Parts: sequence; C-alpha cells; structure tokens
Amino acid sequence: MQSVSLQRGDTKVFQNFNLQVQHGEQVALVGPSGAGKTSLLRMMAGGIPAESGDILHGDASFAGATPKELRSLRARVGFIHQDHALVPNLRVCSNIVAGRFGRQGLLPALRALIAPTQETRLEVLQLLDQVGIGDKIYHRVDSLSGGEQQRVAIVRALFQKPDALLADEPVASVDPERARDVIGILTKVAQEHNLTLVVSIHDIALAREFFPRVVGLRQGKIMFDAAPLDLQEGQLQELYSIQTK
Amino acid sequence: MNHRTSTLFALLIAALWAWWQLDLKFIDLFPTKGGAQIARDFFSAAWRPAVDYQSEFVPEGAPPFLWIVLQGMLRTIYFATAAMTLAVVVGVPLSALGSRLAPPWVRIPVRILVGGMRSVHELLWAIFFLAAIGFNSGAAVIALAIPYAGTLAKIGAEMLDETSDRAYHAMRGFGTGKLTAFIAGLLPQATPDLAGYTFYRFECAIRSSAVLGFFGYETAGYYLKASFENLHYQEVWTWLYAFVLLVLFLEAWSGQLRRRFVA
Repeated sequence: MQSVSLQRGDTKVFQNFNLQVQHGEQVALVGPSGAGKTSLLRMMAGGIPAESGDILHGDASFAGATPKELRSLRARVGFIHQDHALVPNLRVCSNIVAGRFGRQGLLPALRALIAPTQETRLEVLQLLDQVGIGDKIYHRVDSLSGGEQQRVAIVRALFQKPDALLADEPVASVDPERARDVIGILTKVAQEHNLTLVVSIHDIALAREFFPRVVGLRQGKIMFDAAPLDLQEGQLQELYSIQTK
Repeated sequence: MNHRTSTLFALLIAALWAWWQLDLKFIDLFPTKGGAQIARDFFSAAWRPAVDYQSEFVPEGAPPFLWIVLQGMLRTIYFATAAMTLAVVVGVPLSALGSRLAPPWVRIPVRILVGGMRSVHELLWAIFFLAAIGFNSGAAVIALAIPYAGTLAKIGAEMLDETSDRAYHAMRGFGTGKLTAFIAGLLPQATPDLAGYTFYRFECAIRSSAVLGFFGYETAGYYLKASFENLHYQEVWTWLYAFVLLVLFLEAWSGQLRRRFVA
C-alpha cells in the first residue's frame, strides 16, 4: 500500500498510509475498535477503493483497474469474514465451490453448485480434511458449530486458490480454546499453500504466539510494526490506553 | 386529541360515511322471508350432497355426475397450474429486479410495472382478455397469471430484501458476477419462503380458476353456477365438498413440500 488515503463520512480513516507485506508473509493486525483494521483489509481486498495512493498486488494495481481487472484481482485475494458469510441452508460442499466463482462464468458456476464433478468433490474433501472436518462435506452449514463454520469459510477461501488470505476478526465469535485452533489452522494452511496471510485480531496473546510480524494500528496510523519478541509492553499499553482518553 | 385517537376517529368517520353512502340499514344484513327459505333449503342440503344428477331430464349417454365433478375439478387445476407456471416464470425474475440489489433505474420502473399488474383483479383482467383475445383458454390463463406474477414479484422482492446479503457480498468480494452471486448467495436463502408463498398463491389460483367458470370456462365454477341457478342445492354441496377436499389436499401436499425445502 503506497500513500493510501481513505475518508468515511467526515472521518479521515487513513492519510498517506504505507504498508508492505511480502509474499508468503504472515501478519497480525492489532488495535482497538475503530482503529481502521477492517477498512484496511477491505481496501487490500479491493472491496473499497482508496481515495488516493495505490494498492499493489504483485505487479497488478488496484488504482485505475477496469471492472474486469478488478474482478480478476479480487479473485486472487481470499477474504474470511468475522461472521463467515456462508449460505446457511446450503451444504458445506456447495458453499466451498462458490470460492471459485470469481474465476468462472455463470453456467460453469451453476454446474459446480448443483452437481460438482468427482474431481471437485475430492479437492473440497482434501481441503476439509486439512482443517479437520472432512466428514462434514455434505452437512448443511447451519447444522455446524461456529468454529466449524469458520473452518468452512477458511476452506472456501483456500478453494479460491488465492495468492493472499485476509481474515477480519476470524475468531471474534468463538471461545478462547477454539480461537486458538482456528488461528493455528489458518497460519498452518497459509504456510502449506504458500499464501500471504493478514489477520486482524483482538487477542494480542494469539497474535504474538502465531504471527512472526505484528502491526499495531490506531486511528489509521501504524503505532508499531515488529516481531513479537521485539514488542514492548509499553507499546501495547499505549496502543490501547490512548483510545480510552 | 393525540395521534392515535384522531386516527381511530377518522376511521370511524370513514366507516359511517361508507354506510351512509350505501344507504345500509342494520336490518339489511339479515335475509328476507323468501331469502330465509332459500337459506334453509340450501343449508339443509348440506347433509345430503348429490352423488347423481338432481335433474329428472338427463340426456341419454351423459357421463355420471361424479365423473363430471372429477373433470370439472381437474380443469380447475389445469387452469391454475398453467397460470401459476407463467406467473412464476415472470414473477421470480421481476422480484429480483424489484429488490434493493437492482439499481434504482431498474428497480423503480419494475416496481411501478408490478404495482400495475397486481392492482387489477384477475376477474377484471379476464373481462379485458376475453374481449381482446376471445373466448379461449389462453385468455383465462393470462388473466390469472398477470396479477399473480405481480403479487409474486412484490412479495418476492420483499423477501429478498429481508434475506441476509452477507454471502452475496462475500461472493462479490472475491470477484463473482452479480447474477451468479444472486443465484448462489441470495436465492437459496430466500427459496423456502418464496416456495411457501408460491404454494399459497397456487391455492388462491385454484379458487380464482374455479370462479373463471362464471365466464363460461368449464371449471368447477361453471357447474356450480348451473346447479345453483337450477336450485339443485345437493349438487352445489357436492361441488363445494369436492372443492374443500381439493384445497385440503393441496394444503397438506404444499406443507410437506415446504418442510422438505426448509429441512
């Protein structure tokens, strides 16, 4: 991200914001509510356009991209939502095949949705096995627990075959033990698939445990950008305490 | 006077005004002496529905009465099914185009069109199409299909608007086209409600199809009217019972299908 600015209503969320993430890197975004973590991730995914500056994805640029180019760029970025954003009354398999719809036309997409090929089902099954819920492939999503649904959302993003995975508070609605599982799975599969991973997370302990790079964000500014071992307690206290003033 | 009281007062004035305009008297709500006799004859026939023609003059070779009942009910179903098929084919796409997902330049004209389709009753459409097309099955089917498509489109659009669009926007987020995201992300969630409402409208279409008999189409209403005009009340009750059985059967069948959609 190069000199990116974004304004929402009267609020300047980002002004000349810069952040560089290398391919295959795993980054945790931490910071208080309203720091701009979600906006940052959505800009990185091409969901909201920056008012100025540019977001580069490899050699490709979001700024000035045509709608077709934008669709193609979005298809290269997997996004995992806090509330999963799955279709609750469809089966797990149908939700996962949707991950590749950005690269497919209407008819192939509908065919994959209604009658996925044996090859597709095997691919889905292998991915589900990686996150430990291979036996749920034909279950309806609304019959799964919150943690299982989050794994389905992860697999949908993986099935997309993205270059980068972005996750917005993926463990905000699960208990601490399952949160640890989900973050563990997320970092493991990102490493196995050689994906860039950027995750916004509230739990500093999880961020420090699982991510080699932690970025502290407050009011649209980077407060620190460091490896977990280099993080000072004072930096964390400052990140959150100023917000309460 | 607060807002609620003044609204109630305005409604009361409107009701009194309507009664006064119609010159209604409370006594008019009860049958006259002759009317009471007809009502007695009619309701006493309820216990003895006809299984054969009541008329003494039945042409030789005429099919049995119960066969005529079966044929009349089947034709009622045919008209309703043909009309509902057309209504679904037109109404479901219009519901998508009239929902908040469509841009205003599409949504607003579609909502005006849908309002026009459903504001005219099917019987009025029937009068219009009988005059325009002539007495054939097509006129009746179109007359039923237009307001039903309009109602399906309106209610369908509201159901789509109330459906969570999180999955739709998530799919759009990873580059999925609008139509694909609509079909894969939004429609499946709205389908149980849409299907339930379509089945309900099918029951309504059965009733309307029967009433088309009053225009000369050989549905249940056609025979019902003839029996009533000939004062063959036992035949009338046979038709009414057959009709109730059909609606109950459809209710049970559609309930089963709805459960399958939701499960």
